[in-house]
Amino acid sequence: MKKFLTILICKLLRFVGKLIGKGSSMPGQIALKLCPDILKRVTLPKHIIAITGSNGKTSTVEMIAHILTKNGKTVAWNREGSNQIEGVTTMVLSNATLGGKVKADILLIESDERYAKKTFSYIDATDYVITNLYRDQLTRNGHPEFVFDAIAESIHDNTRLILNADDPLVSVFGNGRENVVWFGADELSSDEKELHSVYNDGAYCPICKAPMAYTTHHYNHIGHYACTACGYHRHDTDYAVTAVDLKEGWLELDGKYRVSLALKSLYNIYNILAAYTVARLVGIDGQAIADDMNDYVLKNGRVINFKLGDRSGTLLTSKHENSISYDHSLRVACACDSGADVLIIVDAVSRKYFTSDVSWLWDIDFEMLNHDNIHEIVLAGAYVNDLASRFSYTNIPQEKIKLFEDIAEAADYLKSDRKEYIYGITCFSDKEKFLSKVEEV
Amino acid sequence: MKLLHLYHDIMNLYGDYANILALQRILEKSGEEVTIDRLSLNDSASLDDYDFIFIGSGTEKNQKVVLADFVKYKDQLADFIASGKPLLMTGNSFEMLGKTITDGDGKVYDGLSLYDFTVTEERGKRYTNDIIATPCISDQPIVGFINKSSMIYGVKNPMNTVTFGIGNNSDEMTEGVTDKHFYGTHITGPVLQKNPHFLVYIAELMLGKKPFEDHLTYEKKGYENTLKKLSERIK
Repeated sequence: MKKFLTILICKLLRFVGKLIGKGSSMPGQIALKLCPDILKRVTLPKHIIAITGSNGKTSTVEMIAHILTKNGKTVAWNREGSNQIEGVTTMVLSNATLGGKVKADILLIESDERYAKKTFSYIDATDYVITNLYRDQLTRNGHPEFVFDAIAESIHDNTRLILNADDPLVSVFGNGRENVVWFGADELSSDEKELHSVYNDGAYCPICKAPMAYTTHHYNHIGHYACTACGYHRHDTDYAVTAVDLKEGWLELDGKYRVSLALKSLYNIYNILAAYTVARLVGIDGQAIADDMNDYVLKNGRVINFKLGDRSGTLLTSKHENSISYDHSLRVACACDSGADVLIIVDAVSRKYFTSDVSWLWDIDFEMLNHDNIHEIVLAGAYVNDLASRFSYTNIPQEKIKLFEDIAEAADYLKSDRKEYIYGITCFSDKEKFLSKVEEV
Repeated sequence: MKLLHLYHDIMNLYGDYANILALQRILEKSGEEVTIDRLSLNDSASLDDYDFIFIGSGTEKNQKVVLADFVKYKDQLADFIASGKPLLMTGNSFEMLGKTITDGDGKVYDGLSLYDFTVTEERGKRYTNDIIATPCISDQPIVGFINKSSMIYGVKNPMNTVTFGIGNNSDEMTEGVTDKHFYGTHITGPVLQKNPHFLVYIAELMLGKKPFEDHLTYEKKGYENTLKKLSERIK
C-alpha cells in the first residue's frame, strides 16, 4: 500500500510539475521521504546501465537511448538530466506501473559522480560506464581524486565496468578487476606527441605516483600512458575509435564503421564511443549503430547555431569550472580556416550555487587563441576583468581583445558587418543572456 | 631576482601556477631582471639562492608524496623563513610545515615540524567555500576560494582573520599561518592576481621600494567586483 501510494503521489507531482514547468527532482524527493527504500521495493528491468564521470554523461545517455530505441528496445532514462537520487527516483517511478514494475527493457541511469553511492545503494547496475575524471566544479567537487573516491564507493562487485582506457585515473577502477570492458581511441591524426595544456593531470601515476610517460596525447591527460615505475599502463581496448578526420568531420569505429560528426571536434568522440560500446554489448549491430549516430545532433542544446544581424555563429555550451570543456571549444574555434571571432562570457559561475571563484580560468589554455584563424576576441560578463587579467598572460596581441561587462553591449558590438564566423563560448548559467540577443537557427 | 616555484607539476591545482607569473611581471615592470626556476620531486635546490619561493596546492595523495621529498629542505626552509625573505604557500601545501598530518584513514604523517599545529583530514569530507579574510599585513581584505578536507588545530600565528567562509577549523575564525614573511593560506588558485594589494606588498618587500602598479587595472577591478559580490552574500 505504501509503495502504491508513493508511486501514485510521485506520478501526480511529476504530472503537475510538468504543467507548471518545475524540475524533475522534487517528486522523487518527496517519494523518498514517504518511502526511503522505494527504489528497492519496485521491480526494475533485468538490464540496468549506469553512467557517471565528469563530462559527457548527458550526451552519452541521450545517444544510448537514441540507439537502443531505434533498434526496438524500450528504455527508461533520465532525459531531463536530474541525476542525483531524487531525479533518478522521479524517473524510475514515472516509468513504473502503480504495482511497482518498471515498464522497460532497459533502465538507463545518468548519475551524478559525487553522490553516485547514494543512488546505487538501492540499485544494482548490470553495467556501469565511467566516462572520465576531469577538473570540474572545483567549488563543489574538490578535485578529481576526491571524486574518484566517491565513485569507488558506488561500484558493486558484480557490476560490469565499462571504462575509458585513455583516462589514467578512470582506468584505476578496472585495475586487477575481471569484469571490465574497455573503450578508447587508437593513435589519432589529431594527437599531440608533446602535450599543449596549462597543466597535466596525467604527469604522475595515479597508483604509485612515479612519473608517467605518454606515447600520444589525444588531449590533456587523455591518451596512451604508462607508468615509468610500477608498470601501470593504458589497457588494450575492446571497442575503439580507430581513426578521425576533423577536417572532413568523421570518425571510424573498430576499423569498420564510419560516423560523420555534426560538430568537427574531439568533443563528442568519447560520448559516441561509449554509446557504441554500450549498444554493442546490448547486442546491436555495429553498422546499425553507426547509421543511427551519423550526423547525430544532440538534443540537449549544447551546440546552438545562431544569426546575429547578418553574421552567423555557433554557441558552444561549455562548462564553467571545467577547463577541458573550454579547451575543446577553443579548438573548434581555432579550426575555423575562414576566420572566426570568439566571444567568451563569464557572468555567473554557476546556475546551481553561488561562487565568485574564477581560478579555473587559469587552467584553460587560452593561449590557443593566439592563432591566425582567430581575428577578434570579445570578453564579457561580470567577471570580464578576471578574464582580461587571464588573457593578459597569453601572447595574444591585446588589441585583438574587446571587453564588455554588459552582455547585451557585447552582442551589439558583434552585430557588425564583419565577415568572421562567431563562436560563442560560455556555460549553461550564462548562455540565455546571450541567446536572448540572437536569432537561433 | 630569482624566484623558485617548487613542486610546480604536482602541487598545481586550479591555476596556482599563476602566482609566480604575477610576481615576475610586477618585478620586471619595476625594472628587475627575473628568472624563475621550476623544480619538482627528486630535484635538489639550494633555497638560499632564491629571493622568493612559492608552493601551490595539491590533492591529498600528492601532498603526501611531496611531503616525503620536502623533508629534505627542513633546515634550509627554516633558515629561509628566518632570513625574512618571502615564502608563499597556498592550499594544503603549508600543512606540511606542521607537526603531523593525519589522513582520512587515520594514518599519521610527520610534517616538517617548523610549527606546532596538527592537521586532520576527514575522509569523504570537502570544505569548499569562497572566503573574505583580513590578513595580518593590512586592513584590506583578501578574497579567494578554499577547497580542503582538513581541519587544522594549534596555529599560533594565523595569517588571516576570516569574516566570510571557513578558517583553519570549524571553531576558529583564523586562517593560515604566518611567520616573518612566510605566508601560508588555504586559499587556492591565483591568489596574487585576485588580490593585487597582496602582490604589491610582496613586491615592495623584495624591492625595498614601491613597485610599479599601473599594469594592475584589471586585477584591481576584478578584486573590487569579487569583494562586492562576496560582501553581498554576507548580508
